[in-house]
Amino acid sequence: MNKHRKFLAVAISLAIAIILGGCSDDKAESASGASADNAITISWPRDIGPMNPHVYNPSQLLAQSMIYEPLVSYKEGGEIQPHLAESWTVSEDGLEYIFKIRENVKFTDGSALTAAVVKKNFDAVMKNSSSHSWLGVINVLEKTEAVDDQTFKMVLKEPYYPALQDLAVVRPVRFLGEAGFPEDGDTSKGITEPVGTGPWMLKDYKKDEYAVFTRNPEYWGESPELEEVKIKIIPDAETRVLAFEKGDLDLIYGEGVISMDSFNQLKESGEYQTALSKPVGTRSLLLNTTNEKLADLRVRKALQHGFNKQAMVEGVTLGLEEKADNILSTNFPYTDIEVEPFDYDVEKAAEYLEEAGWKLPAGKAVREKDGQPLELELIYDKTDPIQKAMAETLQAEWSALGIKLNISGLELTTQIERRKAGDFDVDFWYNYGAPYDPHSFINVVAEKGWGVAEAHSNLPMKSDLDQQIKETLGSTDEAKRQQLYGSILGTLQEQSVFVPISYIKKSVIYQNGVEEFIFPANRDEHPFNEMKISK
Amino acid sequence: MATYISKRLLAVIPIVLFAIFLMFLLIRLSPVDPAEAYLSAAHIHPTDEILAEKRHEFGLDQPLWMQYVQTVKGIVLLDFGNSFVTNTPVWQEIAARMPATIQLALSSILLAIAISIPLGFLSAVYKNGAIDHFSRLLSFLGASIPQFWLGYLLIFLFSVKLDLFPVEGKGTWQHFVLPSLTLSLALVAVYTRLLRASVLEELEQQYVLYARTRGIKEKAIMGKHVLKIAIAPMMTGLGMNLGKLLTGTIIIEQVFSWPGFGRYFVEAIFNRDIPVIQCYVMLAVCLFVICNLIVDIVQMYMDPRISLKGRAQF
Repeated sequence: MNKHRKFLAVAISLAIAIILGGCSDDKAESASGASADNAITISWPRDIGPMNPHVYNPSQLLAQSMIYEPLVSYKEGGEIQPHLAESWTVSEDGLEYIFKIRENVKFTDGSALTAAVVKKNFDAVMKNSSSHSWLGVINVLEKTEAVDDQTFKMVLKEPYYPALQDLAVVRPVRFLGEAGFPEDGDTSKGITEPVGTGPWMLKDYKKDEYAVFTRNPEYWGESPELEEVKIKIIPDAETRVLAFEKGDLDLIYGEGVISMDSFNQLKESGEYQTALSKPVGTRSLLLNTTNEKLADLRVRKALQHGFNKQAMVEGVTLGLEEKADNILSTNFPYTDIEVEPFDYDVEKAAEYLEEAGWKLPAGKAVREKDGQPLELELIYDKTDPIQKAMAETLQAEWSALGIKLNISGLELTTQIERRKAGDFDVDFWYNYGAPYDPHSFINVVAEKGWGVAEAHSNLPMKSDLDQQIKETLGSTDEAKRQQLYGSILGTLQEQSVFVPISYIKKSVIYQNGVEEFIFPANRDEHPFNEMKISK
Repeated sequence: MATYISKRLLAVIPIVLFAIFLMFLLIRLSPVDPAEAYLSAAHIHPTDEILAEKRHEFGLDQPLWMQYVQTVKGIVLLDFGNSFVTNTPVWQEIAARMPATIQLALSSILLAIAISIPLGFLSAVYKNGAIDHFSRLLSFLGASIPQFWLGYLLIFLFSVKLDLFPVEGKGTWQHFVLPSLTLSLALVAVYTRLLRASVLEELEQQYVLYARTRGIKEKAIMGKHVLKIAIAPMMTGLGMNLGKLLTGTIIIEQVFSWPGFGRYFVEAIFNRDIPVIQCYVMLAVCLFVICNLIVDIVQMYMDPRISLKGRAQF
């Protein structure tokens, strides 16, 4: 029996020792808030990742944008402003871009930013160009050259006006210092250290737990007001809310990081500040004209008039989104066009259907034409509560018109696959937001492979549209471009293949001490540069 | 004894092989393409070119039977490959996160033992008394409250309202309290009732009556004899539950932002990070099989009346 007791004592002491091993961290580190007074703490759902500027998962855009900077930056309304490049010139034919690199820019290791380093970064990105083929500028880039210490030249294969917008994105065209490159220069396999030119540098990091960023003392631009930003990794949305209520977090920021219910609950408590951004994108329906029922413009118009958009958006999104009449909201470049909204008008909708030959047989609930019922399928992402609620609302609203709408909740990737294959009648669709639109948007209308061009393929003016889009992307004349965009967007609005539903907005909720919170113009950028806090 | 153990160990091989087959099938049955999942998590609009490249990189462009052979070969050689998401060896990812999960599991077990032994014992001794009613209520709650919800409740009460413990994270001993409590309540529910039942059964035994007539102090009877014997079934239950405990940490780590392997597994599922999912499932299978084996052996050792012949060979 004694042996037993000894064994038990040893086992229990061992277990306690192992557990205590987990408590031996430095107390200061595990304090919930950031250590400095002039600091904020926010949460993020995932670990910030290896901070490699040239790759995607698992690096997080938020953190990448704090450390690395672009040649040009995207500002409010789509204006492109100098950043690491203090000026640039574009040749008449739109093929050559010459950037003057800002002087006195230093990486966090003290090394200078030169055209040679810029080129080295471009080379690393182009070495792996197929991974970046979603970004237009990568596909048209012919070569780059460091003309002298501060002059960098980029030559395109064909004119492509959004090249500058594409250079403003958070990844992959941002700049790593020499010291961060592996020996073979191929950053796609990893970097040695995150050396950037940005206003923030990584001070302390514990994988899956937190990352602390501190001001870069050598920053070339205006230094941030805050000394420190602590990012706590909290994967669970409810826990995030609880941590915020306790005061461990100064703000909750990001797209979809808390539920709309939680947001409204916190807002209504009156103890916190909340704000909504300008539209970052439009939630739309995509009607597939390859389906012969939907190839008829009158049917598409009937669907638009046939549901109460205002009531649906308010009811489903609890006021966090705004009813949309434009396919692209007007805070993007070239999108400020006059549109004729489709009002909620059931009678008009019924008229259109009658005109198109869809009659309601006596005693039946679904309209028919040549013995065919007016039956459509809407596919949605089953994990998205908003899509689900909207799908159910549309099903009810349209059935009153005599349209049978079947709704199918799918895995997100299945939804995308079916969309890309053109295998759908009605689907939800979102545009890409800043800085990707409007050029990425018109690109998918013309380019097959995303499901959008396929959905438009039965429009009588499709080939004209494609031609105009091609012309727009290669245009070098601003006025011409504006006119082309007006024409393209006007046609799309009239043709009703896209049914705009609501403008999606970013939300933020913060404690009372936080001031000067400004939503970044670029959807993927961090918001920390202007922010202040008084505790 | 030795032949029995070696037989049982040999039986592990077909079980593990079957588990690999089942796992492979289930993962491939999912309509989600890991390459698509990777790109959508990266906010990339997946062009066919990028997709094809990713599929090739992940080895998903090979015929299914070849993928299966590769999977089995990898697992047999204990090489789970690299994570699709981070491109680092899965073993490395797991080794970095396992200690946190083991610490959480151990602290939950210790807490469960520390609560259930006195509670179960006292509920039996003072049958139908206040303690018994309390333990009955606790067991009822522990068995019926979903763990994630209990976690939120505890955070709300002890952290947001009373400010006694941190909401989430890891680092100090205070960080252990709420997650361990959440995880252990379900165990307490079972063990308390188990111990109570076996103590009551033991109290009916002849030797207790005999000891009492000999005038041995009640305390000694209870502590030295009754409890020692009655605790055996509880220990068995504990061993059987080790595997369950490890899988239970998945939800708890998510709720408390505990930087362990369970949370990593949840992320892997969302990202369809097949190598990580495979490794986790294999570990869970092995843990269940080994725990069962150990429990059987310990039981035989403690109670020789359990005959070897009568036992099912799985």
